[in-house]
Amino acid sequence: MFKLNLKIALRNLWKNKTYTIINILGLSIGMACCILIFMFINYQMSYDKGYKNEDQIYRVVSTWNYADGNNFSSQGVPLPLAPALRNDFSAQLEKVSAIQQAFGIVKINDAKGNEKLKTQERTFYIEPEFFDIFDFKWLAGQADELKNPNTTILTKETATRFFGDWKNAVGKSFNYQNNENYKVIGVIDDLPKNSSFPIRIVLSYKNYKNKNMDRWGSCSSSSECYVLLKKGVDINSLSAPMAQFVNKYYTDKGPGKEGHHFQALSQIHYDPEYGNFAGNTMPMKEIYGLMVIGAFLMLTACINFINLATAQSISRSKEIGVRKVMGSMRKQLIVQFLTETFSLTLIALLFACVLTEAALPGMRNLFNIDMAFNIFQYPSIFLFMVALTVVVACLSGFYPALVMSGFSPALAIKNKVKANTGGLGLRKVLVVVQFALTVVLIIGTLFIINQMKYIRERPIGFNPSAIALVDIPNDSISRTRFDVLKSRIMQVPGVKNLTLCMSAPSSSNNNESNFSYNSSKDADFQVNTKVGDENYFKTFGLDFVAGRAFSKSDTIREYVVNETLLKRLNVPNPQEAVGKKLNISGRSGQIVGVVKDFNNNSLRDGISPIAISTYKKGYYTMAVKLDSKQIMQGMADIQKIWNNVFPEYVYSSSFMDDEINSYYESEKIMGTLFKVFAGVIIFISFIGLFGLISFVAAQRTKEVAIRRVLGASTFELVKMLNGSFLLMVFIANLVAWPLAYVFVSKWLNGFTYRINVSIWPFVIAMCISLIITLITVSMRSLRAAKANAIDALKYE
Amino acid sequence: MIKLENIEKYYANKGVKNYVLRHVTTQINKGEFVSIMGPSGAGKSTLLNIMGMLEEPTYGSYFFNEEDVTHLGERKKIELYRNHIGFVFQAYHLIDEMTVYENIEAPLLYKNVSSGERKSRIADLLDRFNIVAKKDLFPNQLSGGQQQLVGIARALAAQPAIILADEPTGNLQSVQAEEIMELFKKLNREDGITIVQVTHSEKNAGYGNRIITIEDGVIKEDLKIG
Repeated sequence: MFKLNLKIALRNLWKNKTYTIINILGLSIGMACCILIFMFINYQMSYDKGYKNEDQIYRVVSTWNYADGNNFSSQGVPLPLAPALRNDFSAQLEKVSAIQQAFGIVKINDAKGNEKLKTQERTFYIEPEFFDIFDFKWLAGQADELKNPNTTILTKETATRFFGDWKNAVGKSFNYQNNENYKVIGVIDDLPKNSSFPIRIVLSYKNYKNKNMDRWGSCSSSSECYVLLKKGVDINSLSAPMAQFVNKYYTDKGPGKEGHHFQALSQIHYDPEYGNFAGNTMPMKEIYGLMVIGAFLMLTACINFINLATAQSISRSKEIGVRKVMGSMRKQLIVQFLTETFSLTLIALLFACVLTEAALPGMRNLFNIDMAFNIFQYPSIFLFMVALTVVVACLSGFYPALVMSGFSPALAIKNKVKANTGGLGLRKVLVVVQFALTVVLIIGTLFIINQMKYIRERPIGFNPSAIALVDIPNDSISRTRFDVLKSRIMQVPGVKNLTLCMSAPSSSNNNESNFSYNSSKDADFQVNTKVGDENYFKTFGLDFVAGRAFSKSDTIREYVVNETLLKRLNVPNPQEAVGKKLNISGRSGQIVGVVKDFNNNSLRDGISPIAISTYKKGYYTMAVKLDSKQIMQGMADIQKIWNNVFPEYVYSSSFMDDEINSYYESEKIMGTLFKVFAGVIIFISFIGLFGLISFVAAQRTKEVAIRRVLGASTFELVKMLNGSFLLMVFIANLVAWPLAYVFVSKWLNGFTYRINVSIWPFVIAMCISLIITLITVSMRSLRAAKANAIDALKYE
Repeated sequence: MIKLENIEKYYANKGVKNYVLRHVTTQINKGEFVSIMGPSGAGKSTLLNIMGMLEEPTYGSYFFNEEDVTHLGERKKIELYRNHIGFVFQAYHLIDEMTVYENIEAPLLYKNVSSGERKSRIADLLDRFNIVAKKDLFPNQLSGGQQQLVGIARALAAQPAIILADEPTGNLQSVQAEEIMELFKKLNREDGITIVQVTHSEKNAGYGNRIITIEDGVIKEDLKIG
């Protein structure tokens, strides 16, 4: 029976080639998108998994709540927190380990003492307990010796890069920061890419020195702390002791109320509020968003199938009637139709696999992640495909099967099944649903494109074009060479201006401090501090509204503030602020100027209150404004001079434009995704529409012929055939508008600088959908209307 | 075999009852070959459909093999189709996607006949109707008469007690029509299959042994012949 059903199914699919192709095309594209989305989500969900104690591992994070309602949070903790935690929570925590991120120059000499390798590396100062918390795979050595200073652990890849072969690495040593030598005591296996801490070089925490080692008031996002919970301890039971802990240690009252929380390891990758060392998070919100889009795509493809199948059902009514009087049970007919749907879905799945494989390189590129479409490596993909096939086949096959098997045999045999029994009402509803989804995606895409354009073109308060940011070392010897560097680089042709600073006006590197304005009492909010020399304003093109730039100085003497700071302090006239005293964490100076507001964050966030001052010990970046025509040569010259001035360091540079663009990386990815998915959903919907109009045209051939004989013009006939489709798409637009409005305004609320929700994208989406409908439908209806009337009528 | 008691059938349209059958009472015995005749729209086909349980009467009762089947559930009805009733249609109604062989096999599959038994029964039917050479062809590759032969073979495959035929020769040329009628006569005589056919032609009716004439939904004449 099954074999026969299958045979009949394939013959039927072959007979109705157009519908089969439309269905397979739609289903396979929809399925391919679903498989890709699944693979992506699967990859994202695999972060930080596979550790023995993963359920008991937590990261300690910090928060500050301010009186004005602002909250600030950090992935880092004050440096004294780890030892204090170890001491006070010994009953609840098995292990506590600090991990400190740093960057430095690694130098390796060969046997003869010649320099073999000099490179800038990201390193982590880690306590040995860290390796009790995380059971990394050890290839050589063990963690114990890390308690001794000047010891290091490398990953396999780094050890191979440094010493040729990781097997020879243990016992060898390298020089770090032109200062200390570190001996390799162990090699661990490379950490997978889906890890929130990209550890490659581990240095003994004993070597870590910082003047803030005992200060609770200072907190850097580079100092994280991980803990391993004792077995049987409930993490919620730790909040009360933690509150006591905070009260005990934070004796100096800052403006913000400090707090610490335990964040589960499984949450780190999904919480953008705190971030992590790997620098990528995937909010669950976006994962759900992708799931919804996948469901949309699949639903549209299934609706195509249902519509075409029910439309076709009329032409199959005779077969159904005959089968019934031959003694077929309704159940058997349902099984037969589902067999057809399943074979179609399976064929679509094969095509989907091909499409997935073809789309994968683009996907890898877009997300910059390592994925492979390999069901042996990731058996879950196989399970997903099986589940997808079953769901799609049932979703799209069950309703038509139910309708068709329900035909009354007496009517079916006489071909008297009315067009409506094929579910014309439902079919219309489904088309409306399908197009509503399509229009929602079109509108969403238009808004995303507009918002991205708005952000790109919005003035950010300074001129970021043709500015190169070159890292510079800042130690006592290097500082003496700053003047030489500056004067030599100013002579490079094409260099217009240069400044030494901590970071550019807009930077992901922000420092906040307590401060007092014109009084001894601290303000109830913090100020964002920036450090740069006297050329900072000219180089970045910052405009003054009052006062002047500060004069040349190596220490903090004068401050320049921004308008927002004055606004927050209720100083209406910028002139009034000039000459007033500003005290920022103990360093006081005079305000000499007020600059126009500029964006110091991405446009998702507002502008912070800012104070800028000179401070030679804070210069880590040299910003060079170049003539845009001479960038290439200028950069080469700068690198040459730099290497000459700092021979023991490694040159690295970037462009301000790229830095700013990188803030919007995730929006760019989202924009691309939306464009692709909107394209796909439009395609699926419209081939479905084409199938439906083909069917209607075929069904109404006789009517068209009679009308033609009665004198209807081609235009009138096309109008008649198109009318209901245009109406359906119009109604779909009306349904889609409020939905799209809700989604779009929610998304835009995430941006401080955003476009207004205007009517135009809605109107454009309507025009696009109506025009494409008109074209799709007319292609087919024109043919029907122009057909020779005699051909249709002579068989009667 | 078939007993109809006071069968009425009407369609209500805006409160007006359009009667198709009125007070039809008759009995068809095992082994009879009955022809139902009458002008167009007299209710012949409706009567046949009621006999085949494709339609239900508005009033009256219907007994099939002494059993009241007036309002029968789907399951029971299908049980009767599988084992007792075979249908032959004017437009043959073969399934286009199936070969001749598969068309004949279909009712046997629904009846869960074993594979070996199926093969021998189909081979027997193909042989008897001289269509062995056509078994792998599709319906649209056959002439009308050949298609109707396949249709009858299919109806006979399940070895029914009665065949209900709605103008079985209506679409055929006279030579082919004669062949079909001869076949019916032979089946009735030699195999004892009860046959009820609807027909327009006096000549075709002559092959049977009883003619029921219907006019305006009422039995006008019930004539035994031969």
